[in-house]
Amino acid sequence: MRSWSILGTVALLLVSDSWAFKAHDFKTCSQSGFCRRGRALSARAKEAKSSWVSPYRIQEDSINISPSQAVFTAAVKGLYEEINFGLEVRIQDDGVVRVRMDEVGGLRKRYDETASWALIAEPVISEDIKWAKSKGATRATYGQKKEFEVIVKHQPLQISLLRNGKEQIVLNGDGLLHMEHFRNKVEPPTSTEEPEPVEGESAEEEAGTQKVLEVKTRPTAWFEGETEDALFEETFSSWTDSKPKGPESLSLDINFPNHGTVYGIPQHATRLALPSTAGEDPTFSDPYRLYNSDVFEYLASSPVSLYGSIPLMHAHSVDSTVAVFHVVGSETWIDVSHASDKSTQTHWISESGILDTFLLPGPTAEDVFKQYARLTGAPVLPAAWSLGYHQCRWNYVSSDDVRTVQKRFDEEDMPVDVFWLDIEYAEDHEYFMWKEKNFPDPVEMTNDVAANGRKMVVIVDPHLKRDDNYPAFKQASELGILVKPKSGEGEYEGWCWPGSSSWTDFFNPASWDWWKGIFKPEGNPDKWTWTKSTTDIHIWNDMNEPSVFNGPEITMPKDNIHYGGWEHRDVHNINGMLYSNLTYQAVAERTNPPMRPFVLTRAFFAGSQRFGAMWTGDNLGTWEHMAVGIKMVLANGLGGLSFAGSDVGGFFGNPEPEMLVRWYQVGAFAPFFRAHAHIDTKRREPFLLDEPYKSIVKDILRLRYTLLPVWYTAFRETTVTGMPILRPQFIMFPKDKAGFDIDDQYYIGSTGLLVKPVTEKGATEAKVYLAEDEVYYDYLTNQAYRGAAKGKEITVPAALHQLPLFLRGGSILATRERPRRASSLMKRDPFTLKIALSKSGSARGELYLDDGESYNHMQGDLIWREFSAKEHGKHGLRISSADLAAAKPDEAVDGVALKTYNPANEFVKSVADVRVEKIVVLGLRSKPRSVKVQGGGELVYEYTPGVAASDKKGGSPSVLEIKDPRVLIKEDWSIVID
Amino acid sequence: MVPWALLLCSLPLSAFSKPTKTLGVSPNLLSKYVPIAKTNTWKCLDGSKEIPWDFVNDDSCDCPDGSDEPGTSACPNNKFYCQNEGHIGEFISSSRVNDGLCETQCCDGSDEQPGVCPNLCKEIGEEYRKKRDAELKLQRAGAKVRSGYIAFAHQEKKRLQGEVERLAEEIKAKEKEVDRLQDIAERTESLSQAALEHKKESPLYKSLIIHNNALKSLQREHKKHLEREKALGQILDALRTGYNPNYQDMAVLEAVRGWEELAKLPHINDVGKDSEAEKPSENESDEEEEEALEEGMWDAGQLEHQLDGLISTDYLSLLLEHEEYINGPQEGSILFELAAYLPDSFIPVYEDVKDTLVSWLQKFGIVRGDDGAADSSRAQQAYNDAKNELDRMRTELDTKENDIKEIFNINGFGAKGEWKKLDGTCLEKDTGDYTYEVCLFNEVKQKPNNGGTTFSLGKFESWNPSSDVQPGQPEFYQKQVYKHGTRCWNGPERNVVLRLSCGVENALLTVQELEKCEYEITGTSPALCLPPEEDKKNGNGKKKDEL
Repeated sequence: MRSWSILGTVALLLVSDSWAFKAHDFKTCSQSGFCRRGRALSARAKEAKSSWVSPYRIQEDSINISPSQAVFTAAVKGLYEEINFGLEVRIQDDGVVRVRMDEVGGLRKRYDETASWALIAEPVISEDIKWAKSKGATRATYGQKKEFEVIVKHQPLQISLLRNGKEQIVLNGDGLLHMEHFRNKVEPPTSTEEPEPVEGESAEEEAGTQKVLEVKTRPTAWFEGETEDALFEETFSSWTDSKPKGPESLSLDINFPNHGTVYGIPQHATRLALPSTAGEDPTFSDPYRLYNSDVFEYLASSPVSLYGSIPLMHAHSVDSTVAVFHVVGSETWIDVSHASDKSTQTHWISESGILDTFLLPGPTAEDVFKQYARLTGAPVLPAAWSLGYHQCRWNYVSSDDVRTVQKRFDEEDMPVDVFWLDIEYAEDHEYFMWKEKNFPDPVEMTNDVAANGRKMVVIVDPHLKRDDNYPAFKQASELGILVKPKSGEGEYEGWCWPGSSSWTDFFNPASWDWWKGIFKPEGNPDKWTWTKSTTDIHIWNDMNEPSVFNGPEITMPKDNIHYGGWEHRDVHNINGMLYSNLTYQAVAERTNPPMRPFVLTRAFFAGSQRFGAMWTGDNLGTWEHMAVGIKMVLANGLGGLSFAGSDVGGFFGNPEPEMLVRWYQVGAFAPFFRAHAHIDTKRREPFLLDEPYKSIVKDILRLRYTLLPVWYTAFRETTVTGMPILRPQFIMFPKDKAGFDIDDQYYIGSTGLLVKPVTEKGATEAKVYLAEDEVYYDYLTNQAYRGAAKGKEITVPAALHQLPLFLRGGSILATRERPRRASSLMKRDPFTLKIALSKSGSARGELYLDDGESYNHMQGDLIWREFSAKEHGKHGLRISSADLAAAKPDEAVDGVALKTYNPANEFVKSVADVRVEKIVVLGLRSKPRSVKVQGGGELVYEYTPGVAASDKKGGSPSVLEIKDPRVLIKEDWSIVID
Repeated sequence: MVPWALLLCSLPLSAFSKPTKTLGVSPNLLSKYVPIAKTNTWKCLDGSKEIPWDFVNDDSCDCPDGSDEPGTSACPNNKFYCQNEGHIGEFISSSRVNDGLCETQCCDGSDEQPGVCPNLCKEIGEEYRKKRDAELKLQRAGAKVRSGYIAFAHQEKKRLQGEVERLAEEIKAKEKEVDRLQDIAERTESLSQAALEHKKESPLYKSLIIHNNALKSLQREHKKHLEREKALGQILDALRTGYNPNYQDMAVLEAVRGWEELAKLPHINDVGKDSEAEKPSENESDEEEEEALEEGMWDAGQLEHQLDGLISTDYLSLLLEHEEYINGPQEGSILFELAAYLPDSFIPVYEDVKDTLVSWLQKFGIVRGDDGAADSSRAQQAYNDAKNELDRMRTELDTKENDIKEIFNINGFGAKGEWKKLDGTCLEKDTGDYTYEVCLFNEVKQKPNNGGTTFSLGKFESWNPSSDVQPGQPEFYQKQVYKHGTRCWNGPERNVVLRLSCGVENALLTVQELEKCEYEITGTSPALCLPPEEDKKNGNGKKKDEL
């Protein structure tokens, strides 16, 4: 009977333990040996103040400057005289500076392949820029007006990038550079006087009580500290990391002496302008952490690491925008502090890897994004359908369930493009293997969805159930391409959804063709492939941090072994990107010629933008998470990952109808728009809502679909320029200080749409910040608001059915006002042009179109047009359409520079009769006397008088509606308003 | 506002083939789609605007109500009418016009540009009629069964009415008997009270009462523990079968393992279905190992079933019997015979004790002993029993009268009583891992096929609770709701929605757990098969649903 009562207690404890973020599952800096050492180093430097001098210095006689290229190399000495480092500084043809440093002749080799995974190609080194060596420093000056200067100071080593004599980025300015050299474990001499700390004492306590008397005996103590702290073996909770290579961490301070605001280093649930973690009165006590983690019910404001990592940080001031790309794939902690509101100090502490840092000089945000896109690639152009609405749930339980959900959407005439299946479709969570009882006819089910012009997305996670009857596991096991345990022999076994599992090592090239082959629906006589699928099925890669339920910090042990003998610690943050990369290729190559795949990933790294979309993981159905999700999507966009979104409704919990409606408004204005829900939640598909909520959500979905051409056009731009699709205030108005911290409103590409999603309960109005003296039109009511040059906050109605969405004066939008069941069914529909005249009476906009799913656009099968509205005569207006693709063929699409453009290409033929069915002009000064197509007849129009764009006031604007001008999208034309 | 500038011009009519002015117009509106002759204009159906007749169906939306574009997709939220000659006309949403897909509802292909969709109305119409015929056949067959159900309801009503009458008679008789017994009891009591009080002072009696109280307390405590044990077992069972194998929570896994060991359950695989077959045998062999009982000790079964009987022994009667026993045999006396019999039945099952006492006491009414106290108690007992019986009969009468009302209650067994026959009928569906049992109007259960706990998924709550549906309508009886089933681990109570349709059999078709602990079961019943004629009479535009 006693055992009963014990069990009872256990059960009660379980019940009372609410599900929430489990802080004890994840390390704080003080629980991570190398982070602790890094912060201790910083603390010693602070204490020493001006007497602190970095021990790292260039051996002047070793300096070598490439005669033909802007490459500087030198030998470097650090704390230990006998340890050698090699430094290399290269200046690329676009002005980006790359700094690399590695230990030379060390006991072991540091991981140096991170850049090879992140970069799209080896950057081109400038042949024009020359280094000049002078006493104590080597310099290079470049730029059109010689405005940029790189200075490598020799002793102590310090590298700075300057613009117009002003320091932009400084490496090792605070002397925190430290590359721990490889060493063998020295067994401490047995001493009777100084007993070893008792085994089991926590490492923190050791760190706290290390005021030992041996100061004099360690000459390096001033820098490295008096005792060795967790150099070898390290224990966290019940896991011990064997750390066979010993210490190899990298500490580097990166300062922005003239930039008071920093952004980036996603993914963290926090404000866009990164709050401080160090210095005086920091917002967070721990550094930002980059260590891809499956964090259960993450907090809505925290520096803890989440699912993905992009070690790219932007620094911004009214003078310039610059960035640092610190290419490290191992766990990294970043402290941010501000000595004044005009400067920023950051301290990067990584567990392993070489120093490989790119300094992106800007000087504008556009330049920075371009420079970063040249390094890691611009976002890939997605399949057009993937910009539609995605309906997901853990789980639609059967093929009939999927059919019923589709039927209900159709009955309500709610547009949707994609139905998703989460892990429960798979028998025993063996991905690809349908649970036949519930999904007896997966191909027919997919065909039923495809028959309405839709697609399916099915989850495939990286863990393979260890079951010899599971072909994917069996094949991978036989090929010997599974990640190995620390012994380096056999297969690592961890615990995930299916129970005991193993993981493919995608660092092993032998895995690549295997994985690509497995997705082929047409089958392969030699091996098992996924024949129970069709090319209308696309893939969702979840859990690729990787998530390992019984591993340290819910992931793989760091001493696991990957291809080439590298430890998991070296490649952890890159791991997830490789998986979605290979899946992306696999899905593309199912057909010949390949078709654009859609792959959603949870884990990511710098470069993931080349392989599709990401989402912000398992958020909570709370207002806080709704709000922070917007900031996270903005931050991911800064990191290159524009195709991003948060789960609409929140993954966990049952949002009340009001919250759900607001969340649809948020989701409809994110690049990736998916509703998803946890298995324990009530069903919440939009057709289940009561009125008025149902109609409001239906209107939101339809609004999204009318704007799909706008989104697609915005995507074209980012695939060429790398500019994020969602643009926060600081990018649009870099000199407006008041906008630097604003992260709850944003512009969509260069379309002129400004959105401020409402994320508060019970809101009836919203405040929107207008940074310029320009007119903004409420997109849904046309109401005009006038901003001010010094910035102005306007208050706008924002009841539940209203959404603060504005069209900036000077913009032209091309929309399709006939929302249909699915985006693919709108391909031949006519366009509506909405022209929002600027205060000076003009406007412009773009439209990009292609077939949306093939790669034919790379051969020039596309339409890219510019619409403009300019003053014509004294009071008139000329609206015209011009061929941008013909004017700038080399800028039309990413990846290829088209030499010429054929305006009669195959795609154009397929939309030859697609026309403009309506033109709306907002803000005309007076009623037109005539509206004509140039060279054609009079058009029918309706004019409602109102406020003109040039009037210095808001109000109901004048509206001119031109009925069906019947001008074609493919052609140049002009419409003249007199 | 400002009217359209009516400057008609030669619009460049490109590849568009202009739809006819009445494309997509439903028959009852056809008469409205004619121009005003004098001006060659047309008024939007809502009267808000007058537009040139040329603007009707010109693939450009002019009327606020969209009425100028019945045949195109130009106006959102419009309805397009497909004539479907040879079949049945049908509306589709304007968002499906000219989208490149041939709508199944538009078998004449009129929803797309000419030449895109073939006219399939002949084939589809034929197929539809065939299908409709088959459905009608099934409906007729079902309706026959249903009329049997209705007949049953009437019989049942008659039977119940008969029982009600009989009961009423019996109640009358019983009332008289109660009156008589009450009279006797009152008279005897006044005589014997003092004697009885004295006897109650007997140490033996007092001690018995103390023992009895102690037993009662023990039993209460024991039950409390049993219930607690059961509840804990349920929590842990639910944990074992219901936990998501890894919310990265090893503590949960440990708890499950511990429980399995203790409860001798097989280890549940994380996907939740392996290896449960081993379970039953293990359990049995285990029980055999329990400790041997001492002579005369009760085993668990006896404790469970017989303790109540023992505790509710009428000690007062026992006291009197005891006295009679001690006072020695009185030959030929019936009381002696009874007293001799009673000690043997000291530990009988409860019913036996009761019956014996009752029969004994009935006789007491005839054979009077010489002991006043005993007389009084016995008379009281006889009165009480008769009164209880009378109450029971009255309740039964109420129930039966209520049952009669329920048979033809539209919220109960339907206006025609067609569901009465199925009251308590249990249907089963084996889905592999579980067998689902629906006992209509009672309870739904989920019974694991390979051992484990059976869960209640809910008790009958109501017919279709939707406010859109009125009781008595056919749709009302197409849905039953069962609620308040066993609570899910860390979740809500289990609930069931049972969706029924007409079929010749009472059967379950599918079971789905669409969201956690919310089950949807579909099935058929002849009770839903209205005779086709009657259906037509109801005929609230059902045609559409059946397409």
